[in-house]
Amino acid sequence: MPSLANFVTHKEGRFSVHVLATDKFRTRHLALKLSRPVQRETVTESAMLPYLWMEGTAQHPSALEITRYADELFGASVRTFINKRGNRHVLEVQASAPEEGTVTGAKEVIEKLEDLLLQIASDPALGDRGFLPEHVERERGLHERRIQSVFDDKITYAMERCLEEMCQGQPEGLARLGYIEDLRKVDKDRLWQVYQEILATCDVHMYVVGHVQDVQATLQRMMGKLHQAFGQGNAPDTKPVRALAIRNGDTREVVESESVQQGKLNLGFRTGVSYGDAEYLPLLVANGILGGFPHSKLFMNVREKASLAYYASSRLDGLTGIVAVQTGIEVGNKAQAYDIILRQVEALKAGDVTDEELDFTLRGLRNQYRQVLDQPMSLTEIHFSGVLAGIHRSVEDLLDQISAVGKEDVVRAAQTLELDTVYFLNNQEVNASA
Amino acid sequence: MREISYDRLHQTLIQDKLDNGLVVYLLPKPGFQQTFATFTTRYGSIDRTFKLQGAAEPTTVPDGIAHFLEHKMFEKEHGDVFPEFAKHGASANAFTTFDLTTYLFSCTDDVAKNTEVLLDFVQDPWFSERSVEKEKGIIGQEIRMYDDNPDWLVFFNLLQAMYKEHPVQVPIAGTVESIAKIDPDTLYQCHKTFYHPSNMVFFAVGGFEPKAMLQWIRENQAKKQFGPAPVVERIFPEEPPQVDAPEVTAKLGVSQPRCFIGWKDAKTGLTGPEQLEQEILTGVLLDALFGRSSDFYHRLIDENLIDQNFSWEYECAPTYGYSVVGGNTPNPQRLVQTVQTLLTEAQQRGVSEEDFERSRRKAIGRFITSVDNPNYVARAFVSYALRGADMFETADVLERITLEQANQRLREHFVPEQRSVSMVLPK
Repeated sequence: MPSLANFVTHKEGRFSVHVLATDKFRTRHLALKLSRPVQRETVTESAMLPYLWMEGTAQHPSALEITRYADELFGASVRTFINKRGNRHVLEVQASAPEEGTVTGAKEVIEKLEDLLLQIASDPALGDRGFLPEHVERERGLHERRIQSVFDDKITYAMERCLEEMCQGQPEGLARLGYIEDLRKVDKDRLWQVYQEILATCDVHMYVVGHVQDVQATLQRMMGKLHQAFGQGNAPDTKPVRALAIRNGDTREVVESESVQQGKLNLGFRTGVSYGDAEYLPLLVANGILGGFPHSKLFMNVREKASLAYYASSRLDGLTGIVAVQTGIEVGNKAQAYDIILRQVEALKAGDVTDEELDFTLRGLRNQYRQVLDQPMSLTEIHFSGVLAGIHRSVEDLLDQISAVGKEDVVRAAQTLELDTVYFLNNQEVNASA
Repeated sequence: MREISYDRLHQTLIQDKLDNGLVVYLLPKPGFQQTFATFTTRYGSIDRTFKLQGAAEPTTVPDGIAHFLEHKMFEKEHGDVFPEFAKHGASANAFTTFDLTTYLFSCTDDVAKNTEVLLDFVQDPWFSERSVEKEKGIIGQEIRMYDDNPDWLVFFNLLQAMYKEHPVQVPIAGTVESIAKIDPDTLYQCHKTFYHPSNMVFFAVGGFEPKAMLQWIRENQAKKQFGPAPVVERIFPEEPPQVDAPEVTAKLGVSQPRCFIGWKDAKTGLTGPEQLEQEILTGVLLDALFGRSSDFYHRLIDENLIDQNFSWEYECAPTYGYSVVGGNTPNPQRLVQTVQTLLTEAQQRGVSEEDFERSRRKAIGRFITSVDNPNYVARAFVSYALRGADMFETADVLERITLEQANQRLREHFVPEQRSVSMVLPK
């Protein structure tokens, strides 16, 4: 296989620029990530900010002017959002546009797009003191609906509720978007205060993927722009993100009732293993055998054999080390589905793994990682997981390390799964204490 | 075999039509790791009633059968097809729409073997009473999952309001009641009728070697006997141009209402380049009117009538077509009134040259960046190809359409008799 593309990084204090030069795509991709600890006191403000940014910059002082300007840059797509990765809150702006030379008349589009991205995060439209009140008011209303919308997608809602219950009292359990009850006390001064604190202290990561002719020059140019946008600031004492520790005590059982046609059963397991650990790749393979693919135990047993569900899968969150199982079932089949799911986990732990299951899973995972090489934004996400976990693994490393995983490694890694929380969303009225 | 070069996109497409009628398109992408391959039949949820040449009577099949067939193709007498792909590191999937069924894989290894698995499993049906009964439980849960989804409900209710007879209004997976009627015989019959190679398209995009790929496909197909292509008349009921109902409301356990406003297209029956042009023209018009850069969008946001999930869509097929705008709203009735007032004003005044040019420019840029995404290219290319259009002409069409055409379309398409409204309200 030809050598796979890698990011080149330039780091100064809390600022990092990561550049991946490739001529495979007709599109330039940019991403700016501001990372900070997620905290109960500021989670809602911090979550609102990326959306508030799109209300206007000093140069383009309204949402309409920002989007019209982006359209001028050959339909550049510019989006902001909030992400939660382990115990970190990541405020993010992404942009993509056709590379210069792919469209007639596209000159300096990329430099303009870089500037727009930085202005959105660091140079907002301002009033007398801080944000414009009308921008804050509009965004407060929109953010309330953004939070409410999670409830309307019952698959996402059930997963979020399961994780929230599972990580009660820990930053990992805080809602990514924050809380409706906080919105009442969010005003422009409060937002401005949190925003200033973030600008001055967060870790700043800028990603560039595309036809970069001179990587060093791009690193220098972007670093200069970051300093201009965010000032100075020492490297914060950012600790690598670690997995949630195994919790002592009984499994939590949570049952909720809503008006739904289909019950949602979610099981959360803690493992104590995360992206930075040597055991991560064996655990990734174990999760793949359990529920990552259509050949996996959950799909084969819950869906194909028992005909109980349309979807039945598991996923490993690399930063928290949580393995989360999800399925949608007839409410009356909960006990049967629960039983089948637990039996699959027990089988995995007992070493009941066929050569085929292992082989298919290794191939499937390698296929996923190789495909990532065709997906610029996924490449940045994998790189950024390494940044957060404090370990650098190139896609090549990941492919090699997956290939080296054997059955005994899988079975050993599977022993780390501890059932923490069982969440069931049904359509029957239940006692609050049930 | 012929090669078509799209110079400005730096893409070269290879096209071939095999002796059995199968049309093959290959789009090599040097440097790409993955190969994304699709095998598609022109057969979807709307193909409910059809008449085979020589048959006395037309046949009507249960709703949801095209989708059911898609599920059941993955099971064979010797077991499941997924492990066959997994053995060669491929990720396989399938989907059914109103007018097509696509089987696909993506892989980074063993491309020849995966191509063979794809061609073979789609052309080799095997159904049993037991496996068909078992699938009813699985698809039943798929239907239940959609039943809880407000975006799905508001959309299908809108189609049911717009269409009186046309089967585009029928949910693609059918209903628990309709799929109960499906049996192996009907599945075999639908496969025989619609899965002949002359009714199918193979499309692959990615880092494969196109000459070799074409050779594998030719050899694979040459080994099989298909018999003459069935002559099938697809029968669609007479559909009045007006909508069936102006308004429909449902209730669901959600936090906020959803509201979709749809305009049934009176101008259907287009195929080929005309269809592509109508789709692109209407898309640019809808973006100029309702997109993120439009005055409308920001007025609706300012009046707290929409949020950022507000969107537009236009679908244009030979026997149906519609535009939809909408999303979450605290006040569906006011949203409908406001959109109508804004539209009426726009119809009188016309879309401005500035707005039209901005949307055109944006659409060109978005199209060029979309060509980087194999999954998107495969889906879009095949969908257009089956309607006789070439998606790689999108940029040329975008440069050709005029403001006058857009304004004419604005006045013709968005008329009150063609409009339906669908609302989903919190319980």
